[in-house]
Amino acid sequence: MVILDLMRVMGGLANGTLGEVTIQSVAERELADRWCARTGNTIVRADVDDSGAGTLVVRRGRPPDPAVDLGKDRMPGARLWLYTNFHCNLACDYCCVASSPQAPRRELGAERIARLVTEAAVWGVRELYLTGGEPFLLADIDTIVRTCVDALPTTVLTNGMVFRGRGRSALESMPRKGFALQISLDSATADLHDMHRGAGSWRKAVDGIRLALSLGFRVRVAATVAAPAPGQLDDFHRFLDNLGIAVDDQVIRPIAAEGLATKGVVLTRETLVPEVTVTADGVYWHPVAAIDQDALVTPQIEPLTPALDEIARLFAEQWAKASTAATLFPCA
Amino acid sequence: MAEQLLVGAVAYTPNVVPIWEGIRDYFRGSDGEMDFVLFSNYGRLVDSLIAGHIDVAWNTNLAYVRAMLQTGGHCTAIAQRDTDVGYTTVFLAPVGSGLQGAASLAGKRLALGSADSAHAAILPLYFLARAGVSESDMQIIRFDTDIGKHGDTGRSELDAVAAVLAGDADAAAIGVSTWNAMGTEDLMSGSLEVAWQTEGYCHCMFTALDTLPEQRYGPWRDKLLAMDWNTPEHRTILELEGLRQWVLPHLDGYKPLFAAVGEQGVDPRW
Repeated sequence: MVILDLMRVMGGLANGTLGEVTIQSVAERELADRWCARTGNTIVRADVDDSGAGTLVVRRGRPPDPAVDLGKDRMPGARLWLYTNFHCNLACDYCCVASSPQAPRRELGAERIARLVTEAAVWGVRELYLTGGEPFLLADIDTIVRTCVDALPTTVLTNGMVFRGRGRSALESMPRKGFALQISLDSATADLHDMHRGAGSWRKAVDGIRLALSLGFRVRVAATVAAPAPGQLDDFHRFLDNLGIAVDDQVIRPIAAEGLATKGVVLTRETLVPEVTVTADGVYWHPVAAIDQDALVTPQIEPLTPALDEIARLFAEQWAKASTAATLFPCA
Repeated sequence: MAEQLLVGAVAYTPNVVPIWEGIRDYFRGSDGEMDFVLFSNYGRLVDSLIAGHIDVAWNTNLAYVRAMLQTGGHCTAIAQRDTDVGYTTVFLAPVGSGLQGAASLAGKRLALGSADSAHAAILPLYFLARAGVSESDMQIIRFDTDIGKHGDTGRSELDAVAAVLAGDADAAAIGVSTWNAMGTEDLMSGSLEVAWQTEGYCHCMFTALDTLPEQRYGPWRDKLLAMDWNTPEHRTILELEGLRQWVLPHLDGYKPLFAAVGEQGVDPRW
């Protein structure tokens, strides 16, 4: 009796785990379908022959909802990353997109960015991130930022070192509402930061953070740290607390094995929840892999909607597959 | 912050952990903050309540009765599920067996669940006796397959039903919640039907010793009763625990079990 078998198997399982039951006929399959629908369990696979006899793999509970597990703000398409350019005043040894003063500029351009963010807002994107390269090297970064902020809440990622002359004027003209700066700083003291980013860069970045705060901007600080020594992160958080950075705006992330990094966390499309990323070369799965051809979704940038739709579809497939792939590995 | 209320429960399925983590999270930041401890069986749970190791026990009906009997009635019933009120036992027989009503079970083979299950062993015999069918009038087949859990796993009831389907028993007594989980006649119409059903009685109950001051459990009870089916975060917990609304105790619903435990000589320490 398939219902009794299902109840016995499911009763001993934790939510989200898989069990197997044997069925003898099409009628039993139909009964199993009805029982699962009624009790909120999920048949994830049926290995049956022409007579309907075989095995059902059943998940205890309903399929996981990514909007609940990840949060609506982290669902694919909620964030749109725009690589405004790839050239940079620094040449960090772990840069995931190999930016440097010598890197080809590959600018998206203000007009194209304006079209992209308009289309993105209509599609349902909720937040924009401008990154590079160093966005503040662009002469029209102030125009780009205003265009973006007019459409959606926007964050610009910067090393905070070029807030001088034209860069400072651009910064001062940027809106405070709906806008944040994310400034890179790797440590509470200069040694580690400068080792990766160049001598003197820590002092300039800290000065940039202080300036941005003094001008009334929301500042998020993001550190890229490979293997923190004991107490290193505590010291760093204390340092940021003293600078006046809110706890939620203190971001620590690992080094990704992308771009110039020779060591770091190995990331693949299969292991990354996508964050749609546009560069001058195409639309990518995630900003950390924006020069990785395995992460290239399409070279077609405009219109953006097909790429947003495709990434949402691919993620839904990936999520469904991941939710059914676990735990069953019978060796005997 | 007030001292956390410590609630004990029995881990009868792996899902008990997320259920109680969800309940604990619900109380976080309120006047009724709590933590939980899980036990492997109801005997240990009641012993720990009486020993003062926990403040409140999430008891089955038998565990509630057992706690009352061991303390001379010095327990406080705090709250229960809406589904614990008016709970019944159903007697299932094969479709077409002709069994209908309590009297039809006389002379038949009756499959029961674990002997410490109030709904699948103790109360079926009690209500049958009230209807004029004593235990000696039937051949009783017991499936003591989840002793210690007071029938919570449902395993012994499935064994009893399987015996009926295999022709090894004429009828099986199971809790109405197991029958509902099976799909009732909606899914079982080709194989099983209800031959008889008991009147309603009460099932689980949050129980404390009467030495626990009302100011300790009161805020927790009030917050518990405020869980709302229409609030999605609350609903997740309510669905997992199998109710729509927490309610205040309905103590009349335990009278049949107190009587049954006395009549059948069920060990008060079981």
